Amino acid sequence: MSAAARGTTAIAAPAAAPATPIEVYRDDGPLARALGARLGGSVRLPPWMLLLAGAIPLLAVLAIGGDGAPRLLVAAALAWVIVCGGISSGRPHADRLRWAVPPLLRLVEYASVLWLAALAGQSSHPAAFALLAAVAFRHYDLVYRLRYQGVTPPRWVNLLGGGWDGRLVLGYLLLVTDALPAGFFIAAAVLASAFVGDSIAGWARYHRAQALVVYEDEEDEGH
Amino acid sequence: MGLTGSGVRETDAPRGARLSQRPGSGRAGGGARRSGAARSRPASGINGVVLLATAPAPETGVAALLPWGEGTVLGRLLSQLADLGVTEIHVITRPYWVDHLRPTLDALPPSESSVELHSSGGTADDLRVVAALARAGHGGMVVAYADIVTHREALAGLLADPRVSSGILSTTRRVVGRPFAFRTRSNRGRVVSAASPYHSVRSPNSTFLGVLKVSSSQRADLAEIADRLTELTTPPLPDSWQEELGVKESTWRLSLSAAELRAARAESGASAESLESLEDEEEESADPDGLELDALETEVEIPDTVTLSPEDEAEVGRWRAAAPQDAASLLVVGLVRSGAHVGVSHLRKLFWARPLSRSAAQQASLEIADYDEDRELLNSAVKANDGFFTTFFVSPYSKYLARWAARRGLTPNQVTAASLCIGLLAAAAFATGGRAGLVAGAVLLQLSFTTDCVDGQLARYTRTFTSLGAWLDSIFDRTKEYAIFAGLAIGASRTGSSVWLLAGCALALQTVRHAIDFSYPAVQHQMLGSARQQPLERPSDSDEKVRPPALATTDAVVPPPAAPLPRRALRVGFSLWRLLDRRRGVRWVKKIIVFPIGERFAVISLTAAVATPRVTFIVLLAWGGAAVCYVAAGRVLRSVSR
Repeated sequence: MSAAARGTTAIAAPAAAPATPIEVYRDDGPLARALGARLGGSVRLPPWMLLLAGAIPLLAVLAIGGDGAPRLLVAAALAWVIVCGGISSGRPHADRLRWAVPPLLRLVEYASVLWLAALAGQSSHPAAFALLAAVAFRHYDLVYRLRYQGVTPPRWVNLLGGGWDGRLVLGYLLLVTDALPAGFFIAAAVLASAFVGDSIAGWARYHRAQALVVYEDEEDEGH
Repeated sequence: MGLTGSGVRETDAPRGARLSQRPGSGRAGGGARRSGAARSRPASGINGVVLLATAPAPETGVAALLPWGEGTVLGRLLSQLADLGVTEIHVITRPYWVDHLRPTLDALPPSESSVELHSSGGTADDLRVVAALARAGHGGMVVAYADIVTHREALAGLLADPRVSSGILSTTRRVVGRPFAFRTRSNRGRVVSAASPYHSVRSPNSTFLGVLKVSSSQRADLAEIADRLTELTTPPLPDSWQEELGVKESTWRLSLSAAELRAARAESGASAESLESLEDEEEESADPDGLELDALETEVEIPDTVTLSPEDEAEVGRWRAAAPQDAASLLVVGLVRSGAHVGVSHLRKLFWARPLSRSAAQQASLEIADYDEDRELLNSAVKANDGFFTTFFVSPYSKYLARWAARRGLTPNQVTAASLCIGLLAAAAFATGGRAGLVAGAVLLQLSFTTDCVDGQLARYTRTFTSLGAWLDSIFDRTKEYAIFAGLAIGASRTGSSVWLLAGCALALQTVRHAIDFSYPAVQHQMLGSARQQPLERPSDSDEKVRPPALATTDAVVPPPAAPLPRRALRVGFSLWRLLDRRRGVRWVKKIIVFPIGERFAVISLTAAVATPRVTFIVLLAWGGAAVCYVAAGRVLRSVSR
């Protein structure tokens, strides 16, 4: 339900806005989009199934290998989930379980970042928390800004953020180049400034449009 | 259809009826403001209210002119609207009532609002006038019965709430407006089906209370729908519509006779108490999935004849006479069936009545006098669907803080900001790591949470909703929670134990949980918005024929296509699961399991104060993990059962 589908709201959405909130919530980066565009047509599975197929090996390796998992296995698990998740971005989100896609993507990304930190050693744990906090701001802001302003963040933020896929690639590169924890801290600082800064700028731009976005009290969200 | 080309009666309405444009001569009506909270916000964006003074009443001809104190019901409504800042009011009435209505309009205190009378020969004409008015202006528009009695704040709740851009005044309370007012089915704050004299609703769960607001952008749609309805209501009516009206009347009779029976039984002392407690139970917490089955309207066989007391017989007669004049409910049906987003503004616990006789008006004036409007508003400011901890340990006193804040003129955003500051202080106290710091943090966290409840209640109480405020409230809540996690982890590391990974897991778990909470309703909304609606000429809102067999006519009862067995079994399971909610205890247990914010903050405070941050995170992960599994499993099953 994009701004257009809300029907009653007269807030212009950016021209490039994806069609549904679920697709906005996905937070795909360029890599995932490219995979989806290239392979989305040939793998005829619903997005949630692709994500599950990607997440299960990752979580299994994580659970079994823990912080002693061999780097190659980590790389394989991450690559597999990025391929599966990337392809799913090119599939239509029209099935009954499409709501499961954003939570699965969150699960994959957050679990992976924590795993990478665990692999790097205890000094990286606070850095992972910092990175996740910055990313979480982005993920909440995607939802709340669409809900309360009817808009999605501008392109440059989406590119800089890299998407869940881009951040996983970056995290792995930082791990193998022994750039943790500093790498996570720097990434957290850069992303947090970009996300928070853009959000504030967005509100500064937003002159209370007369037609407000329709939303309900967060009744069913045990927020 | 232009204003003149269509032979709109408006053009030959008595010109003398135009009353207003008396430039604002220092309005004394300011005295009409309630004392107490500064909560008179004008109905911003509303540009044109159409009142339908078309329902008859035996004593006064038109029900809108039933006496109310020194004046009339309509006079009361007009001054309420003027007080809400409505500047343009149109009253549609029948030609023979025009002269009767004029004194009431003349008696209005001079104000900036203009009132214009339109004479119209029938419902089709009413709709033609509505279409012309919708095309003639800009901004939000309201169509309402001219003969309703309710609180100014109930009207304000719909007219001045920017979150409901188009919507109806509605209630889920069983005692309001029944059995005569037309029912609706709403789901997630949206009307998905509505009834009118000629349309029925399957499994209704709320009631249309005669006020419809249409957003600026939907005005053109409203005009088109009114045009279409003009065609449909031009006599002769389709047989199926006549038949539906007959069904309505039978249902009213049946319902009244059931009420008589109950009253008789109550009088004999049988079960008066249990009946009353049943009605009290009814709260303004709309069933999110709209599954409430209305026993009366769907299951009971309607006998051929029901004998009613003379008073009830007369009442049915009055409502039967008013029904065909009801253009407002037809417009609601038209909008809903066109797929438009029609929201819901709840009456909450306020009073509402639509008197169609002198005695009913008297009754209403006695009952409304018993309402302490401020108290009811304050109670209504508490979110209907909050968690257990919030409902029982915070809201009972936070609402008084909200009123205090309202009187001090504090804005919700200021309170939100204060809550964030206290929350960050709590995080800092946790970060010291010592016992004293942990206890102080626990106390500050609870203080912050209380303040957080106050901002929402303040916003609802004063109706100062802004999208920035809503965003701040939501984003600050998350900021606070994750800052607390960081504070606890810093505190733990000072005492030599690293819990950063646990903190990260807690953050991840909570974010996943919220992702479910955001995505699932988003999909639900999408499906509601794209749900197929029946054509306007069809009385029933479903493909199935759901009419009680006793009234079914020539067309055969078509059984709905059977769903596969597992799906049906799941559906039955969910109905039973929902039935459990009737037990208060079960309902609360279900709410506690999902681990809402009040419970989470209580757990953090408690475990941090008496134990260590590690324990806090382990409890958060265990309870939160169970909650995620419970919620996800329920929603997966629900999704596949549809």
